[in-house]
Amino acid sequence: MAQKKKLGFTVLSAALAVSALAGCSGGTDNAGKPAGTGGAKEASAPASGSGGTGSGLDTSKKVELQFYMLGDAPKDLPVIQAEINKLAEKDLNATVKFNYTSWTDWDQKYKLLLSSGQQVDLIFTADWTQYQSYAKKGAFQPLDELLPKAAPKLNGFVPKDMWEAVKIDGKIYTVPATYKEYVTNGFVYREDLRAKYNLPKPTSIETYEAYLDGIKKNEPDMLPLASTSNPVSSLSDPFRELTRDPVGGPLPYGIGIKYSQPGEAYSYWGSPEHLEELQTMKRWMDKGFFPKNVLNNKDTLTDQLTSGKAASIFGDNPTRFNDSVIKIASTHPDWKLEYYPFPLSRGFATPVHPIHNGFAIPKSSKNAERALAFYEKLVTDKQYNLLTQYGIEGKNYTVENGYYKMVGDKNSNGFGREAMNGWAWRNPEYMLFDKGYDNVKKIFSELDKIQKPDIFTGFAEDYTSYQAEKAALEQVTKQYLYPLQAGLLPDVETGLKTFLEKAKQAGLDKVQGEYKKQWAQYVKDKGIK
Amino acid sequence: MRIRDDKYTPLFQAAAYLFITAAALACLFPFLLILSASFTQNESIIRSGYHLLPLDFSLEGYKTVFRFPEQVLKAYGVTIFTTVTGTALGLFLMTMAGYVLQRKDFKYRNVFSFYIYFTTLFGGGLVPWYIMMTKYLQLTDTYTALIFPGLMTPFLIILMKTFIRSAVPEELFESAKIDGAGDFTIYSRIVLQLSMPGIATVGLFLALHYWNDWFGSSLFINDQSKYQLQFYLYNIVNAMQFIAQMGAGTGVSLGQDMPTESTKMAMAIIVTGPILFLYPFVQRYFVKGLTVGAVKG
Repeated sequence: MAQKKKLGFTVLSAALAVSALAGCSGGTDNAGKPAGTGGAKEASAPASGSGGTGSGLDTSKKVELQFYMLGDAPKDLPVIQAEINKLAEKDLNATVKFNYTSWTDWDQKYKLLLSSGQQVDLIFTADWTQYQSYAKKGAFQPLDELLPKAAPKLNGFVPKDMWEAVKIDGKIYTVPATYKEYVTNGFVYREDLRAKYNLPKPTSIETYEAYLDGIKKNEPDMLPLASTSNPVSSLSDPFRELTRDPVGGPLPYGIGIKYSQPGEAYSYWGSPEHLEELQTMKRWMDKGFFPKNVLNNKDTLTDQLTSGKAASIFGDNPTRFNDSVIKIASTHPDWKLEYYPFPLSRGFATPVHPIHNGFAIPKSSKNAERALAFYEKLVTDKQYNLLTQYGIEGKNYTVENGYYKMVGDKNSNGFGREAMNGWAWRNPEYMLFDKGYDNVKKIFSELDKIQKPDIFTGFAEDYTSYQAEKAALEQVTKQYLYPLQAGLLPDVETGLKTFLEKAKQAGLDKVQGEYKKQWAQYVKDKGIK
Repeated sequence: MRIRDDKYTPLFQAAAYLFITAAALACLFPFLLILSASFTQNESIIRSGYHLLPLDFSLEGYKTVFRFPEQVLKAYGVTIFTTVTGTALGLFLMTMAGYVLQRKDFKYRNVFSFYIYFTTLFGGGLVPWYIMMTKYLQLTDTYTALIFPGLMTPFLIILMKTFIRSAVPEELFESAKIDGAGDFTIYSRIVLQLSMPGIATVGLFLALHYWNDWFGSSLFINDQSKYQLQFYLYNIVNAMQFIAQMGAGTGVSLGQDMPTESTKMAMAIIVTGPILFLYPFVQRYFVKGLTVGAVKG
């Protein structure tokens, strides 16, 4: 009897272990399906369609399109949806339902939407929603053959090099947005204080440090720079962007790749460059530029600046800078903010990659053609576009001297500017801007003069082979690198050595090795030198 | 007979009361901080941190939460509806299950017990659950999706079963039977009457589960007017944080004021308020129901 009980226990615990393991891998099983032959059927159809809109489109059967967006729906969405459906029913014999994921757990929901086989006809994609990796795993339908047939106008509207840029493994999986913007970093600082104490304008690490010194000396109650609990994104990334010539966005796992030599990926962690950066941060900490409890700081960078707690932000993008300016103009009109974009020091600026904003058609969609035709209308048809971006003219907004003007205020107006989060179907020809946005446009036009393409974002990292090491490394980074990065350790060199040791134990070499291999392959495929 | 107090007893009692009072006050402290922060201007929280009394009094936190009052009230309504319906239905189903499972003359007792017990150890995982609910049961955007998953909670059934077993002596069934009572009469007239503490406990657990649930809304509800209160408020906080974060990485314009800290605190007050009133009513059953029920068997 006792033996039987014991056996039962063993079986049970073994089964438990199995179930625990199964639980871990449960989330990713379905997404792994290889890319099927979704577009193969259409291949036989002639790719003419250069004539009128959607000449090859079969609209005999009425369909309802399921449209999935990020974030929260604006209050008046039903009104707009009804208006759009009136148009779409006439043009395409289709209606559309706009669904929103909400910002809570959206990435999990994304995974579920794409892996459960639920009907989704159009879904928002971006580099930060893992477009590349979903496309690689076959979650989306390839659009190459579909585009000229179902959406010829859209096909011609998006420039050829953009279509090229969004390709993953040689196939187009998303329709990129054509509006060009920059999300590069720059110094945001209090010009009124700078002028008052006659400090230098921050344009480099040295001048910035002089500015911070001056603030610390003259305004002892103020934090010279805003910091957060993540010193990598708030200190290290801007530092590297300004001084280390990196490609594109922040690189993971301590990888370093220089824009001027994209073929050579090296380990930034542990390099003399890294040591110098950490020593700089240590010096800043010692000078009291950020508080000792920086790793517990939960306030956002902009909050600290606009409340007057901090005197500068080490790296923010033009759009957010402009938001801070507008906010301060109403609460503290005597303050003045200035901006210095890092690209001016680097000598070139990279506009956001076309992958940054787009829409894809998931595998589960049965109405791919109609969905694409509808999306074409959203982008290229002025009536559709204005309706979904700004609402109903006269009711939600008016146009004054070419500028967008909201009717009423944010609380009374149910559909603000770009309230549908329709960043992906912005059409530069129809776009309306707030007057306050002129500032950003000015910065953008400055950056336009020195623009170079972003070569990094097309790269799709595949971390399936080193997932465990990746997670371990993240843990080690938080524990050993964050304090170093925030200058909290007395001895930088020893601290760095400890961190590297721990990172090696966590599998740094494997992760970096794999990453470098994939990068080398990408560089070769794209012919980047 | 009363135990004679020695001279140290009053001293001990004074010390004990003092200690308990201090501990109780200490428990109130965080709540007071939240309350005060919910009435403080956000800027002032960022600049000088939390204070027991608001430095700069402001209602902006509550104003943000109630910017669209009909939505908050709607969410309140949804939560109250799911809590009441879910608790009532769940209690009915679980007391029935508990009663049947502890009857020794129920033929499939072991099979059903195992079936229920098994699910506490094994679950299909999130994706199969999601597919089941959305594709096969088609429950997206329905209140059923919010109520259904909580109705038969294995742990609560086991708790109920053990409680009934210990609260209702077996002889009672026999004598009731001899007196001519059917199974349903025994259940409604005897078992239910005798297991009130257990029912109160399970009921409170269930009510709390439904009141605090946000995951259901997060997964199965797209229509904002059907959000539960917890999710509605949680989503406001998340949206603020996310938009602030995303603004850094993508250049999307925020264009709106976000009194995050004070709003968060205002939400905490709004959400915890009503359920606090439930405790005093069921508390007297609580200790008994839980201790008896917690003996596994």
